[in-house]
Amino acid sequence: MSIRRKLLVALLSALLLIGLAASGATWFAVHKEADDVFDYQLQQMALSLRDQTMQNQAEFFPGFDYDFIVQVWDPAGALVYLSNQSILLPQGDNGFGTVPVNGRDWRVFTLSQADKTIQVAAPVSLRRDRAVSMALRILVPIVAAIPLFALLVFLIVGEGLKPLEEIAAAIRRRAPTSLEPLPDGGLPEEVRPMVSELNGLLERLREAIETQKRFTADAAHELRSPLTALQLQIQLVERARSREELRDALEQLKAGARRASRLVEQMLTMARLAPEATLEEPAALDLDRLAASVVAEFEPLAEAKAIELRLGRVEPARAIGQEQALHTLAGNLVDNAIRYTPPGGRVIVEIRSEEGGAVLDVKDTGPGIPAEARQRVFDRFYRLPGSGVEGSGLGLAIVKQIADAHRAEITLGETEIDRGLEVTVRFPKAPAG
Amino acid sequence: MRLLLVEDDVMIGAGIRMGLRQEDFVVDWVQDGRAAELALAAEAYAAVLLDLGLPRKDGFAVLEGLRRRKNRVPVLIITARDAVADRVKGLNEGADDYLVKPFDLNELAARIRAVLRRQAGRAEPRVTFGRLTLDPAARRVTQAGREIPVSAREFALLEALLHRPGAALSRAQLEERIYGWGEEVASNSVEVHVHNLRKKLGDATIRTVRGVGYAIANDSDAPCQSAGNSS
Repeated sequence: MSIRRKLLVALLSALLLIGLAASGATWFAVHKEADDVFDYQLQQMALSLRDQTMQNQAEFFPGFDYDFIVQVWDPAGALVYLSNQSILLPQGDNGFGTVPVNGRDWRVFTLSQADKTIQVAAPVSLRRDRAVSMALRILVPIVAAIPLFALLVFLIVGEGLKPLEEIAAAIRRRAPTSLEPLPDGGLPEEVRPMVSELNGLLERLREAIETQKRFTADAAHELRSPLTALQLQIQLVERARSREELRDALEQLKAGARRASRLVEQMLTMARLAPEATLEEPAALDLDRLAASVVAEFEPLAEAKAIELRLGRVEPARAIGQEQALHTLAGNLVDNAIRYTPPGGRVIVEIRSEEGGAVLDVKDTGPGIPAEARQRVFDRFYRLPGSGVEGSGLGLAIVKQIADAHRAEITLGETEIDRGLEVTVRFPKAPAG
Repeated sequence: MRLLLVEDDVMIGAGIRMGLRQEDFVVDWVQDGRAAELALAAEAYAAVLLDLGLPRKDGFAVLEGLRRRKNRVPVLIITARDAVADRVKGLNEGADDYLVKPFDLNELAARIRAVLRRQAGRAEPRVTFGRLTLDPAARRVTQAGREIPVSAREFALLEALLHRPGAALSRAQLEERIYGWGEEVASNSVEVHVHNLRKKLGDATIRTVRGVGYAIANDSDAPCQSAGNSS
């Protein structure tokens, strides 16, 4: 139901009710007052006739043909005087009374005296008419004002809703892809919060789309490299002139395919972790257990590269988080460490509790990350130059994204002895329990 | 022909080098902008294959530095950046060609040859001098219409000498053009290749310039002496 119709119905019904109530009250009050006045008149008239000697009927009150009638009885009960021949009131008791005569109600005042009984009467309708006309005098202007009110309501509501219509028109006019904020100048107070909320939503939407676009562009760009490699490797397979060349070319092709699928996998992980994606409910979990399972998972990979992967000092520590995501975080750190550590090196995972917060530590004996590059390594698709390691450039970006979602803090440092990389992830203090 | 490949992606670099070697190019491969500049300062390359997104020094910066030093080596940009603005910038900065990844190895080789041809100031795909014709794409040598089988090194040596016909090249310059880094070069290998080529094409084809090195000679007047060596 439109605001306009709602307002119209409500206001006009209220107006009508007020009119009816006012005229009803007027009618009631006027009726009562008229009763008193008329009764008083009847009484006064009767009293004024008290001392008159009734002689001949027609000589008295010649003008009283219509409304008032006067009857006088003698003590014996015989009619002495009658002002209107057509109407004969029955003789009643002393005082006021209402009697029907000839289909009309008459108000009668009876004054009984020793020598005669005087009755003065007037039709009840006379006073009722007066009350009704008074009531109508109140009601009519109010009812007459209803169309005027309707028009006013229509115009005012229309005027008030105009900004909304303008906004609707502005939205209708814009290109479907436009996420520019709506103009909020000159808006009525009631509409401004809605528009500013709408603009806030548009802004957030624009940012989300921007991020998505950038990621897609980056991703497409990044996919070019593995695809270029694959195309070259396939051509080398085709061109192979000997069994050995073919074997080498196929080996490289396999590595290229592995690299491409790893990149795609990492991108999927990234998309799943996107802020707008729905993640599992966070729960309290034991980081020490999680670290042990990650180490077990990566043991074969480490062994294949002749790297010693093991748990170092492990204290029981709990963190609130999403198990799957934290597993990915620890897994990526361990995977990175194994990738960058030369054969014969070590990768050590440690868990401790610091001031009530859990801390995950991954240390390796690789070349480390130079201090100036430590901020950039968390950027998507950034790869450390000259490392010669095939990475997607997403591993640490994913780690950062998960850490941020858990309000955990990551620091990159150097191990004391080997000058390798030490990644420390500090989780916020978990509530007891 | 010796090429410098500047590519930071290990797999792509390895693939390109392998593919170009199969086309008998000599390829030196570096993985960042600084290393590229060092290599360019130290060696004379027939052409440079330059990636743009390079660590340590961007490809554009390498190219700009090269042209600022009046180095006229042909440069082919190989990149994933396909925006028209990048292509235009690359060509305006002095690149000779622009190839967007992913690309076909055959196309890469063809473009390299085209660039080398333009650099040598000719339009026709084959190099002809006297009765000798060299087809770089097919890697074929013909003398007076007859095909002469030559090895990859011999072909490279001939190609180097025919780059500016008649100009003499020293043994070191020839070595530099036909061997890449890390390739073992016997001390007399250039002499061996020249000897073999003379046997196949006739003594008069390659002239010894005393104190300098070797030069190609117009053999149209000399009698053909290759009859016995066609096997």
